[in-house]
Amino acid sequence: MKTITKAIVTGLLLLAAGQSFAADSAQSEKILPYPIYQHKLANGLNVVTVPFDSPGLASFHIVTRVGARNEVEPGVTGFAHFFEHMMFRGTDNYSKDEYAAALKSTGAAANANTTQDRTDYHMIGSADKLDLMFELESDRFLNLKYSEHEFKTEAGAVKGEYTKNFASPYSQINEKRSETAFTTHTYSHTTMGYFDDIVDMPNQYEYSKTFFDRYYRPEYNTVLVVGDVTPEQVNALAEKYFGKWERGSYVSVVPEEPEQTETRYVHLQNDSIPAYFSMSFKGPAFSDSAIDMPALDVLASIVFSNTSDLSKKLVIEEQKIRFIGGGAFDSRDPGLFTIQVSMVDKADMPYAMAEIEKAIEKVKTQDVNPEILASTKSNLKYTFAMGIDTPGSIARSLSHYIQLTGDPESINRLYALYDKVTAEDVRMVANKYFNMDHLTIATISDDELGALK
Amino acid sequence: MRSLLKNIMLLLVLFIAVQTQAIANPSIDVVELKQPNSNKVVFKIRFGNGSVADPSDKKGLTFATASLMSQGGAGGLSYADIQDKMKPWAASYFAAVDKQVTTFTFQVPVDFVDEFYPLLKNVLLSPDFSEKDFTRVMKAQQNYVDQVVRASSDENYSKFALEDQLFRGGNMQSLVQGTSASVEGISLDEIKAQYQKAFTRNNVMLGIAGNYSPELLKTFKTDMAKLPDMKFTPVPPSKAKTAEGIEVEIIAKKGAFGSAIFTGAPLAITRADDDFAALMIANSWMGEHRKSYSRLYQKIRQTRSMNYGDYSYIEWYSQGGGNQLPPSGVPRASNYWAIWIRPVQIASQLKSQYPELADIDVGHAHFALRMAIREFDLMIKNGMSEAAFEATKTFLRSYTKLYAQSPAQQLGWLMDSRFYGRKDYLAELDVLLKNTTLEQVNAALRKHWQTDNMFVTIITDESEAQPLADSLINNTASPMSYSNLVKSGLPAEVLAEDDLVAVYPLNIKKVNIVQSADTFQ
Repeated sequence: MKTITKAIVTGLLLLAAGQSFAADSAQSEKILPYPIYQHKLANGLNVVTVPFDSPGLASFHIVTRVGARNEVEPGVTGFAHFFEHMMFRGTDNYSKDEYAAALKSTGAAANANTTQDRTDYHMIGSADKLDLMFELESDRFLNLKYSEHEFKTEAGAVKGEYTKNFASPYSQINEKRSETAFTTHTYSHTTMGYFDDIVDMPNQYEYSKTFFDRYYRPEYNTVLVVGDVTPEQVNALAEKYFGKWERGSYVSVVPEEPEQTETRYVHLQNDSIPAYFSMSFKGPAFSDSAIDMPALDVLASIVFSNTSDLSKKLVIEEQKIRFIGGGAFDSRDPGLFTIQVSMVDKADMPYAMAEIEKAIEKVKTQDVNPEILASTKSNLKYTFAMGIDTPGSIARSLSHYIQLTGDPESINRLYALYDKVTAEDVRMVANKYFNMDHLTIATISDDELGALK
Repeated sequence: MRSLLKNIMLLLVLFIAVQTQAIANPSIDVVELKQPNSNKVVFKIRFGNGSVADPSDKKGLTFATASLMSQGGAGGLSYADIQDKMKPWAASYFAAVDKQVTTFTFQVPVDFVDEFYPLLKNVLLSPDFSEKDFTRVMKAQQNYVDQVVRASSDENYSKFALEDQLFRGGNMQSLVQGTSASVEGISLDEIKAQYQKAFTRNNVMLGIAGNYSPELLKTFKTDMAKLPDMKFTPVPPSKAKTAEGIEVEIIAKKGAFGSAIFTGAPLAITRADDDFAALMIANSWMGEHRKSYSRLYQKIRQTRSMNYGDYSYIEWYSQGGGNQLPPSGVPRASNYWAIWIRPVQIASQLKSQYPELADIDVGHAHFALRMAIREFDLMIKNGMSEAAFEATKTFLRSYTKLYAQSPAQQLGWLMDSRFYGRKDYLAELDVLLKNTTLEQVNAALRKHWQTDNMFVTIITDESEAQPLADSLINNTASPMSYSNLVKSGLPAEVLAEDDLVAVYPLNIKKVNIVQSADTFQ
C-alpha cells in the first residue's frame, strides 16, 4: 500500500526525526514517557499494552512482521499486500457481510496497510468495545476462510489500487529505483508488486493458503493496545482470544544483496512534473544498538533538511530547486539512504548534484558545527514529544519499531543512542555509506535520457 | 431540578474547558481549550476570508498572501533565520487556505512557548513581504496550477474539476491556488494590499489549546487586536449550479491508467441545519468514507472488483486519499453532495490483460457510473430499512467521537462549529443523531437527493475519452466486462443485477471532452 514516494519519504523522515526524548517522569530514562507492558503467550504471541490518558478511547493494532521483503518466490511480488486485502474476506464464524456488520458495530476506524517489512492491522474506537475488537481480530487471524472466487475478485481491487497510484510519476520512478538499486534482495520490488504479478494474482489461490499458513502464526505477530486500558485487561483478552493460536515453523530466508560495484542510473521520461532526481546510497539495516542509523538521521537533518545549508542556498537564495530532502529508510535488511530533489529548471540538475556532492564531501571531512548538532538532537527529541498526543499516534510509533525488531522497547533504546551521537559518528557514517559505487541515481524529465549519467 | 441541571451544565463546561470570551475588541471571537496536562500549546488564527474573496482576475491571491506570510520572513528575521530559531524547539506553523476561511496553525512545546510566541506575532503582524520570498513562493504556486494538480493524483484532479463545473462562473469555481493565468498576474503590491484588506482584526477568530498561561492568552488577544483594521465585508460564496440533465465533462489525459470519476449536485443544507444529521445517516450507509461496509463500496469494489473504493459525501472532504477521518478547517456555506468512484479500468488496459476482452471499446466507467447512480435512485425510492438505520446511527454516534482526538483537532472542530452558528458541533451532532428518526432520514434523503440533474467529471486516458463520450451520450448499453477468471464465479444474482445496471437509463444531456492541458487555465 505504501510506496516510497517523496511524501512518504518525507513522512518517514519526520518519523525518524521523532527519535530522541528523555521525559521528566517515572520513565525519565526513556524516550517514551509511558511504560510499555509486554506479555508473551505460551504460543509465542507478544502482547503489548501502553496505558494512556485518552478517556474512553483505545487503539488496537496487530503487527504482522511480513511484508514485500518476504516475497522470495518468483511471480508473487505484492502478495503480502494482497493478503492484507484478503483478511477482510470473512471466516466460518463471520461471513464477509457479517464481519462488515460486526466491524461497523464497533464504531471504530479500522484499516490496514503493508510496507516492505510488515503488515499492520489497526483500529481505533471506544475502549468498551475492546472485547469485540479482540474477538473479531482473533477470528480472522485464526480462522480466515475465503472461496477461490472471493480471492480472484479481491485481486481486482489491488489492481485498482495500483491504477490510482500509477497516476503519480513519483510512484513510477520509485518502482524503477527499487528495481535498479537491488538486484537480488526482495527490496527490488515495491510493496504493490510488479504489475504483471498483480494481473496474475487471481491464479495464486493455492499459494495464498500457503502464505496464510506460513505467516499468520503467533510468532510472526504482535498485539498492541494503547489507550484507556490496563495490561491485565489486555493480557486476559489476549489469552482468551489468541491463546489457542498454534505456533508455526516456517522461517523465511531472504536472499542477501551482493555489494554494488558501480553507480547505477535509471530514468523516467515524463513531462507532467518538474524535473526531478534522487541519489540513493546503500545504507544500513535498522539496529537499536549500533550508532549508524541514529548518526545518519542526525546527518540527514543537518545536511538535507529545510534548515540545511544546501536548502538555504539552493531553495531560498538561488531558487534553483523547489525541494530537497533526504534520509535513511528504516528497514530490517540494509536499505537505502535517499536524497531527493525537485528542480525549477532541468538544466540546473548537474549543478544541483555537484552541490550535493560538495556537501557530502564536507560532511565526510569536517566535523559538523556543535551548536547545530545540539539543535538537531533537541529537534529530534521534541518532534517526538509533539507527535504523541493521541493513542493512535503512540501506537503507530510503537508499531514501527515492532516491525523492525519485534520489540517495542527498541524505541527507548534507539532514542538513548541519539543522545550519544557525536560529530565523529556523523563523519564516520558519511564515509561509510556515501560511497559512489553504492549509488543509484534516478531522474525524471521530459528528455528521453537522464541528464546525470 | 433546574439548579441541578445548571450545575451539570457548569461542570460540563469546566470539563471540556471551552469558553468564548469577549475581549477588548468585542468583535474578536476567541475559542479556548485549556489542557493543563498537555505538553504543548496550539494557536489557531482564522480569518473569515478564503479564495472566494479573491478578485475574479486574481484568483489565488489569498493563497499567495497566506503562503508568503507563512513561508517568508517576518519581523526582520529571514525565513531561513526563523526556521533555524525554531529547530531546537521542533515548533512549526503553516497556513491552510480554503474557499471561505484561511487558518494559521502554530504548535510549540510548552517548554519554549515564551520564546516562540514573538515569531507568531511577527508572522501575523509584521510579515516582510520581501521580493525574494515572493519570487520563490509564487514559483511554487504557479507550478502547482500549471503541473502538479494534473500530475499527482487523478482522483484529486477529478474532484477539483467537478468543483470547476459545479461552480462555473461563480467565485467558488477556482482552485484556491488560482489558475495558470491568474497566478501569473499576481503582484507583490497586490499581496500587501490583500493582507491589509482581508487579514484584519475585523474578520479574525482566535483559538488556543493546550497548556498555556492566562498571561500568554492575554498577550495573544491584545496583540491580535493590532491586526490591520480595515473594514472587511465578507464575500458570500456562489451557489452550486443545477445541471441541465446529467452533464459530463471528460478530461483526456496522456498516459492515464484508469478512469477517475467524481459526480455531484447542489445541496441546500450544511452542518448549520439540524436536518444535516439525518442526511448524514443516509450518506454513511450509502458511502461512508473509506469504509468497507458502505453500500457503494460493497457493490462496486467488493462484489465486482472494479476499483479500490467508492464513497459518497454531503460536504467537502479534504484530502480524501490520505485522511481516514474528516479534518477540520474547511467549513463551507455553499454546499453540494457528491459520489467518488476511484479509478476504474479503461479498455486499452483490459484488452492488454485479458484476451477474452479483446473486442471491447469502453472500459468500466460507464457501468460504474450507472451502478452508483442506480444505488442512489434505489435508496431515494425505497428509503432506509429500520435495521440499516439503527446500525448506522449507532456507528456514527461512536465514530464521530474519533474526529477530534489531538488538541489541534479539538480546537479546529470547535472553531468550525462557530462558522455554522454552533458552539460545539460534535457534541451537538451526537444529540441530533440520537434524536433522529428513520422517518426523518427518509424524508431528508428524498428532499435533498436527486439524480436527474448532476455534473460528472471523468479523468481518463486519451484513448478512452471519445469511445466513453459516445457511450454516455447515446446511453449505449454498457455490459460489465469481467475477466473470465472473475466472471466464472459470480453468483447468478450478481449477473442478473449487472444486466439491469448495463441498460440503466441515465439522464445524460451533454458530454464534453476537454484536453487536460486546457483545464484550470
